[in-house]
Amino acid sequence: MRYALRTAGILSVITFQISCMQMETVEAWDRGYLAEDTMQWEADARSAKLKGHVYTSKEASSGGASAAGGGCGCN
Amino acid sequence: MSPLSGNSVFLRSLTRTLATLPAYQAGAALADAPPAFTEVGVRYSHYSEDDIDASSVIFGATSRYDIDITQLWIEAPVGANWSVALDVQNDYQTGASPWFVGTDQDGQPGVIMSGASIQDNRVEVGVTTRYFWADGNAGLNLSHSDEDDYEALSIGFDASWNTAANTRTWTTSVSNSSDKVNPTQGVIPVFVMDEELDTQSGYFGVSQILSRTTIVRVGLNYTYSDGYLSDPYKLNDRRPQSHERIALSTGYRHFLIDANASVQFDYRYYADSWGVDSHTVELGWAQHFERSTLTPFFRYYSQREADFYQVTADLSEPHFADDYRLSSYGAMTLGARWAINLGDWTFELEGERYWSDADWGLYDGDSAPALVDFWRGTVAIIWRFD
Repeated sequence: MRYALRTAGILSVITFQISCMQMETVEAWDRGYLAEDTMQWEADARSAKLKGHVYTSKEASSGGASAAGGGCGCN
Repeated sequence: MSPLSGNSVFLRSLTRTLATLPAYQAGAALADAPPAFTEVGVRYSHYSEDDIDASSVIFGATSRYDIDITQLWIEAPVGANWSVALDVQNDYQTGASPWFVGTDQDGQPGVIMSGASIQDNRVEVGVTTRYFWADGNAGLNLSHSDEDDYEALSIGFDASWNTAANTRTWTTSVSNSSDKVNPTQGVIPVFVMDEELDTQSGYFGVSQILSRTTIVRVGLNYTYSDGYLSDPYKLNDRRPQSHERIALSTGYRHFLIDANASVQFDYRYYADSWGVDSHTVELGWAQHFERSTLTPFFRYYSQREADFYQVTADLSEPHFADDYRLSSYGAMTLGARWAINLGDWTFELEGERYWSDADWGLYDGDSAPALVDFWRGTVAIIWRFD
């Protein structure tokens, strides 16, 4: 429960701060560089999943920019 | 053959740009239009752990795990607003792992290995369907993983939506996994029969376009597990029945126009109810060439040991473990990914080398005798067609 409360607190601060941000508008026609594969958070989602799965199996940490997936008995 | 096939590279680039105009990828979510092409792919990876140092072994084999991983998938648009994807993954694992840590005649800790007799095959099948609308998309995923001694059934939902003139994308996802543990008897005795584990997880994050060449993101992941969390194949391993985890992740992408390359930076802070916390930093440089992209990357990881970890487990405590994965250490990874685009086909090669060492960590703690080093090689072929 301690971690759930901490999570909720951090989440609230992040959400509030970002909601208040006023950023430069980049027009739709000017987003060609942002659309490159290499500008995505994962150039290939399946490759990233495999890579993350290997680390998660060999390290004590897990999680990141999505909810956890299904479990496995990977030791 | 399509009359436009000669222009397919141009058309694909144009379509990709148009399709991703409103928003950008976040986690597994795609931009706000179904994929323009059907994609079929196969990826093969080989994972191999280095032999454990013979001086760290009291008894047993020095060889460790080798795993062959095959991924097959098909993803296709369905109508104007939907896509569906089918993923199948097969892992075949052989080798040995540390059974427990004891002490030798000189009182020094050493590993007793399980013997090179472990074989296991895991098959995971997942189906994802996604709906796209003008300002967002939402996906539902079902997946089933089955191996000799472990079965997991999971369901996940994610959604992304855009605000602030489509420069800001909010993303959320939730998941549930119901797992069954049925350890198999081998050379080493196993004292666990049928156990269960339930895991719920949630994520909330946001990405923000800062300029025509820069985008950042931040997000928080919370995961709660309840049930059997020990390792049944380790002799001295009794972990708490619940596990809370949070991970704060950030990312930065910047396109360097003159260099025709992207700089990639990711950072994650992790903490859990077992006393582990960790820092992970990953840096990448994605260099575009005429028909290919080469992305060398470097990853640094450091974790603090779990409260109940000891080099040799103290069996008088309520919880104990001598699993090296719960010790304090640091790790470095060097790798590279090369993607080659040839018309409707993409070929990918990827390799990474992972080293770990107690002296590389940011946290104090006794050195575990069985820290792992490994390498992974991957090759993939992807075909996209109308």
